[in-house]
Amino acid sequence: MTNPPIVRIDNIGKRFGTGPLVLDGINLAVDRGEFISFIGPSGCGKSTLLRLIAGLTDASTGSLVVDGMTPVNAREEMFFVFQDANLLPWRRVAANVELPLLLRGDTAYHREARVREMLQIVGLEAAAGKYPWQLSGGMKMRVSIARALSVAPAILLLDEPFGALDEMTRDQLNEDLLRIRQRDAFTAFFVTHSVTEAVFLSTRIVVLSANPGRIAGVIPVPFAYPRTAELRETPEFLKLLAETSHALRAVRH
Amino acid sequence: MKRLRSWINPLCAGALLIALWYTVRRVCHVEAWLLPTPGEILKAAWQERSTLFAAVLITSRGAMLGFLMAVGGGFLLAMVLGFSRLIKESFYPYILIMQMMPVTILAPIFVLWLGQGLPSIVAITFMIGFFPIVANTTMGFISVDRNLQELFLMCKATRGQEIRYLRIPGAMPYFLTGMKIAGTLAPIGAIVGDFLAGSTINGQGGIGYMTLAYSSQLKTPALFATGFVACLLGFIFVGGVNLLHWYLLHKWHDSLVKKE
Repeated sequence: MTNPPIVRIDNIGKRFGTGPLVLDGINLAVDRGEFISFIGPSGCGKSTLLRLIAGLTDASTGSLVVDGMTPVNAREEMFFVFQDANLLPWRRVAANVELPLLLRGDTAYHREARVREMLQIVGLEAAAGKYPWQLSGGMKMRVSIARALSVAPAILLLDEPFGALDEMTRDQLNEDLLRIRQRDAFTAFFVTHSVTEAVFLSTRIVVLSANPGRIAGVIPVPFAYPRTAELRETPEFLKLLAETSHALRAVRH
Repeated sequence: MKRLRSWINPLCAGALLIALWYTVRRVCHVEAWLLPTPGEILKAAWQERSTLFAAVLITSRGAMLGFLMAVGGGFLLAMVLGFSRLIKESFYPYILIMQMMPVTILAPIFVLWLGQGLPSIVAITFMIGFFPIVANTTMGFISVDRNLQELFLMCKATRGQEIRYLRIPGAMPYFLTGMKIAGTLAPIGAIVGDFLAGSTINGQGGIGYMTLAYSSQLKTPALFATGFVACLLGFIFVGGVNLLHWYLLHKWHDSLVKKE
């Protein structure tokens, strides 16, 4: 009757080489359409957890299943948005967005239409012919998101994508991200340092403690979508913000 | 104003140097065959114009052929070294050793193998430009951004796609740096090659051969003129490579884009 979770993480442990445990006993089942944020002190392994789901690194123990497959085999359904925008400096904006489509062998006709559509969604039609060095940090991140969405992934993995941006740009991009998600219903995994961002975006917030990284608690976020900027000023939002900050402080000892 | 100064300062310095030059001749009573004046050099250059022009053509041909072979061969070898760790680890030390080999020793060997003349000159030019290109381009292929590599991994890119869309464009700045060094060395290589392995079988030698001829005839003004002509050839080569460098990178590379 219920659909199986799109991502199931069972008792995952991770250490690099013979180093200390980075992640220990992680269990998490995520349903299709959820927006999961990982938050925690630095060194809690939240980025590593994201990279495990992407199949960019292997778990030392436990199992991780993405849509019934190993992460590496499920790559076609996922896309990764990197910490810095990670654009190819020699390709223009449109060519950067086009890259994943080009690499998977789409026809030029389909690529062109899709790139135009994606640039329109992130509001960058005018910048299509620019090179990455001509863009601001926020614009680069928009290009990066447009590139990720060009292949219509079922799962979007975002590793602190807005960490380097100023607060106003970050709020704007948060709202844009949710607006896009109303359209392309992807499941999202989002690593962040910002409690506000986590509460605003997520269906659930996973709080991790450090050394080794363990799940300290999972906070459900009950607000209905579509969420708008006004949500940030409601008492319910501020209350949940305070609770989440409290939970985060508790793991920081 | 700033633009004007960038012209005037070198012009003044040049005038000063020329004045100094004439003064040394006059005051120290140096003879013309030891130190010709700029005027005498210009006169000799005009008198020898057809010989010098032909010599430049011959040397440019050797320099161009050797340079192009170094560029092509260097790029291909760098690709092999950049993509196979095993081959790089096994052969790189020998490439470094070869790079240390002085051209003056290689020249007689090439003459033995290829005879006097163009093939030997091209081989010497090639040897001189090849290694900077190999070393720089290999570095370019190896130092790819890890995040970009992971991007290609997430896109399930094939090895060929990664090379075409990531490695080659990423290595381009390094390749062009190697090419700049090779471009500076190519005319020198061709002149040295001509000096050591040149041939006048067709009745005309290159710049290297002409320096030998003029010095044995004590035609010192013509010898100086040959030197300046060689400088000119060097400028043309370096200018050409710089132009290519600018053309390929000016739109995106940090070193060339104008930031306000």
